[in-house]
Amino acid sequence: MKKRILVILLILAVVGGTVFAQGGKESSASGAIKMGALIRNLNEQFVKDYSENLKKLAAANGVELNLQDAQGNVATQLDQLNTLLTQGYKYFVIIPQDTSATEQMAQQIAAVGGGAAFSNIQPSVEALKVGKDFYLASSPEAVAGQYQAQIIDEYFTKYPDKAPGKVLNMLYLQGQLGHPAQVNREAGMIDELEARGYTVNFIAKDTANWTPDQAQEKMDTWLAAFRGKFNIVVAQNDGMALGAVESLITNGFTKNNADDGTILTVPVLGIDATADALNSMDQNKLYATVLQDSVGQSSTAFELMLTMAKNGTANGSTAWGLKPATKVIAEAPANDPSVIGQCYLVPFKPVTKANYKELM
Amino acid sequence: MARNNTEKNDVLSTWASMRKLASKYTTWVTFVLLILLLSILTKGAALRWQSIRNLLIQESVRAFAALGVGMIIITKGIDLSIGYVVCLCSSIAASFAQNPNYSSAIYSGHSFPLFVPILAGIVAGGLFGLFNGWLVAYGKLPPFIATLGSMSIAKGLQLIYTKAAVVGSLNQNYKNISQGSVGPLPNLIIYVIIAAIIVWVLLNHTRQGTNFYAIGGNPQAARVSGINVERDLMLVYTYAGLLYGVAGVLLSSRLGLANSLTANGMELDAIAAVTVGGVSQSGGVGTVGGMMIGVFTMGLINYGMTFLAIDSYYQQLVKGFIIIVAVFFDMKKYARRA
Repeated sequence: MKKRILVILLILAVVGGTVFAQGGKESSASGAIKMGALIRNLNEQFVKDYSENLKKLAAANGVELNLQDAQGNVATQLDQLNTLLTQGYKYFVIIPQDTSATEQMAQQIAAVGGGAAFSNIQPSVEALKVGKDFYLASSPEAVAGQYQAQIIDEYFTKYPDKAPGKVLNMLYLQGQLGHPAQVNREAGMIDELEARGYTVNFIAKDTANWTPDQAQEKMDTWLAAFRGKFNIVVAQNDGMALGAVESLITNGFTKNNADDGTILTVPVLGIDATADALNSMDQNKLYATVLQDSVGQSSTAFELMLTMAKNGTANGSTAWGLKPATKVIAEAPANDPSVIGQCYLVPFKPVTKANYKELM
Repeated sequence: MARNNTEKNDVLSTWASMRKLASKYTTWVTFVLLILLLSILTKGAALRWQSIRNLLIQESVRAFAALGVGMIIITKGIDLSIGYVVCLCSSIAASFAQNPNYSSAIYSGHSFPLFVPILAGIVAGGLFGLFNGWLVAYGKLPPFIATLGSMSIAKGLQLIYTKAAVVGSLNQNYKNISQGSVGPLPNLIIYVIIAAIIVWVLLNHTRQGTNFYAIGGNPQAARVSGINVERDLMLVYTYAGLLYGVAGVLLSSRLGLANSLTANGMELDAIAAVTVGGVSQSGGVGTVGGMMIGVFTMGLINYGMTFLAIDSYYQQLVKGFIIIVAVFFDMKKYARRA
């Protein structure tokens, strides 16, 4: 019995201790601007980098930041929003778990007179229509696909005999199906390749849910089944591209030189330009990637909310040196003229042998 | 002198009975202490009605899962398929509640009356429960393995049915099922209260409920005393399945969408909650009150940590620690009894 009470006290002490250690933050920063960050899943490298930069910006600007990880769960994210709203948070930086939930989130925030900037996963047009202080601070996904196409074109223009008749036999690793980045990166790449005169044959195309381990398993199987039948491997993010690289190496798809920029027999492309990916490029494994700018996106979102907290609105302001977009693009929500002034398009950037060292 | 002794005995016996009481109501005591701790740390802010309302809404769907798996654990079973069954049910239900003019709708161009999605979700859950129950009762598979298999089947069916896409753009009538409220009381809480009462009556005032405890306590003895163990096991999984079906409907209605990640990991949350609430993994022990307290204790811990802006990494740590301690207790308690 005594033991039991002791253990209960121990639990409370642990909870309490953790709580006190963290709780100090809140009281010390009273009077400061309070900002909530709702982040879909800290298991992903891009999202982690984005969050770390937010924390840095908050510390530098004296903002009290409450950053919550939804662990990939829409319900958790909505719960976290409710909790922060109850505590009086009004300004939010959000990486939504799901586009479909963004309108509901925006309505709840608008009800307390607040605003939000969405990054990485696009909000719906309806979410931005909820109010003038709901922003997109993100990069149009189709552009990432277009840059992949551009890199592929440059490679095969240099080595035309590797793709006779401009025919690409591609192994393609997709992110989570139905995810806006999955849909638009693929469409962007295919359209751009076709515009550049290529025929795209998908020898195999399947989802690896953004993860290296699933990508490696898929590739192992494909390499056994389609040996010699493909001339390029493309993944929708760097994690999966690196899984593919590992698989190619373990299955012996390597050559003795890296004259064309890679020791692999075919070029492998990713997206994100994570530290791991740049490192792999440095070792002549991964051929190229596209930078999704975690610092650019988080800084833009943060600055928008900071401006709003100070001036009541951030509409029309400049954030991270970016002005709001003026021309509609094909991709939602920036395809709707009524909300285009709320869209801040952070550029993607192709990362090849020529420039990868700048990012390391 | 004699009088002094009596007084001392009185004090001792009061202390002893208080300890006895605290022991019997460990879960309740922990819950109350947590509330006190949280209200001190937040200077009362966590006790505002808005906070309590948030907490109740957040935990309501998990409460359904906990009631289901709580009954199963009483019969000494386990159910790992909860998360994906809830996910499948929520996707099926949501697919019949999409706005007909939404171009990516599964049944684009069709509009269904409100009872269709509700019924579809609950029936899907019930069928899965029946399947689990059949595997365990007549297939004689260990519940852990049977439900591990059906977990993967449910996941596969969900992906096939939705083609891994989000089932979004649900109509407002459907969303109102969960998002509405009666006066200050959110609908979701009313549903939980009704479900808890039904399960309470089932467990405490029906022959079947008594059978569930008997089977969990000692299946051989239960069989000898004339209980149809197979039939009752099949029923308990089916009842649980129906509860998961309701959970699926309520969850998609609350979120306004369903996707392949909906309810992921709910089995662990629900199992942890009922274990913290005193439902013994050794079978034959557990109450509806305990299950509900377990759910809200875990909810309170989650809510408190979000409220206090504790780093997400620490949140996982604390949760894990609490689950282990709860099970440790449970094992000790019943090891002694045996």
